[in-house]
Amino acid sequence: MSDTTPVIPDQPEVCRTVDAEERGVWRRVMDRFADHCRARSLFVLHYCTGCGAIELPPTITSRFDMERVGVSPMVTPRQADILLITGYLSVKTLKRVILSYEQMQSPKYVLGFGSCTINGGMYWNSYATVKRLDQYIPADGFIAGCMPRPEAVQQVFLDLMKKIDAGQANAWQDYYLNYDRYLGNQMALFGEEWHTPVDVIAEAEHYGYVGDGTRGRFTEILDRHAAYALRDAPEDYPERGANERLLP
Amino acid sequence: MKQAQVPAVLESVLHEIPGIQITPKEGSRVRVDVAPGALPAILELLKGQLGFMHLSAISCIDWPQTDEFELVYTVWSHEQKMTVSAHVTIPRDPGEYVSVYDIHTPAGFFERDIHEMFGVRFDGSPNLRKFILTSWNGPPPMLKSFDTLAYVEETFQWVDYRPEWLRDIEAKGGGIDSEGEGAPS
Ligand code: SF4
Repeated sequence: MSDTTPVIPDQPEVCRTVDAEERGVWRRVMDRFADHCRARSLFVLHYCTGCGAIELPPTITSRFDMERVGVSPMVTPRQADILLITGYLSVKTLKRVILSYEQMQSPKYVLGFGSCTINGGMYWNSYATVKRLDQYIPADGFIAGCMPRPEAVQQVFLDLMKKIDAGQANAWQDYYLNYDRYLGNQMALFGEEWHTPVDVIAEAEHYGYVGDGTRGRFTEILDRHAAYALRDAPEDYPERGANERLLP
Repeated sequence: MKQAQVPAVLESVLHEIPGIQITPKEGSRVRVDVAPGALPAILELLKGQLGFMHLSAISCIDWPQTDEFELVYTVWSHEQKMTVSAHVTIPRDPGEYVSVYDIHTPAGFFERDIHEMFGVRFDGSPNLRKFILTSWNGPPPMLKSFDTLAYVEETFQWVDYRPEWLRDIEAKGGGIDSEGEGAPS
């Protein structure tokens, strides 16, 4: 045993600084590995909007058995990877879909199921249903048909898995990068009072996907809602009670 | 086809109502046309004397040709095994009628629905606030005068029918059958 006091170096060599580029590479390798694993274990949120829901039991259960390729249903949005929009979306349902979508953790994938999610389908001239899902939340894929058979649903899952594995299922990043556009479309439909409990911009910062389209004139309206919540409402803010229209 | 007879029980109960017209239909259905003022009394009589307890539906038809709303009250009796639909017509303007909530409680829902979809006001209905279309600010959408397509064109955008994803599908041998029936030219 030595009685000399240990020398603590100013610059411990074990803790050398990792340069940003190096971390970037490592992170990319990890991401690719994670994508590879993720593609093999996907949970679909058990939330159904239109007639298409009826095709899911055969897809998931023993006849077609999606679980053998790693896709299974999940009951809560926070634990789900895939939001399958099974058919027509009424304006009211779209609000719930957006609330569910924003609660899901990234990376998350949206699949439009049936013609209704692509262009309104047979409800093309209905005042109550939205026509294009991808204007309001970004979608990774669509299944055409009214309604698509389980084989088609399986096909879209397999396509999505391939895309995830290849690191190309990145629609969720678009929601952060162009949040202002999506929010603008939502507000055009629901009115300017529309806002959700999720702070999407903070999430965009967290994931590192703040782009030119993240903030804009519509997110400025959101800031006004935040100010209102703090009892600091601007003069021209809509009356209290305007929000009652949001959710019944 | 043999002309069906007006069921005798119905005849005996309803014959006193002035201006009533009873038309038997196929099966156990009977159509009754009455003046707007007499309808609550008829529902009351049917319910009290013949057991027409079940109000199946109230429906509304907008007739732009005559500027009228037609209201159809459909009731069913377990005792008589018979469906009666009572038709009344009211002028489109001001589009007001009385509620039958005090005779059949479920009428509250139907009246609220018709109020929302056609704008008819039911006097004495317990609740005519927004029902299903909570975020709708337009005119009552079931009116024939409401141009749905114009509203849709103004509110929503269409997808281009030759988008990228379709080319991917076509590359795999799928796609839209442009030769088929109803194909866009
Ligand atoms: S695409 Fe067809 S099956 Fe699917 S929700 Fe629309 S109408 Fe229903």
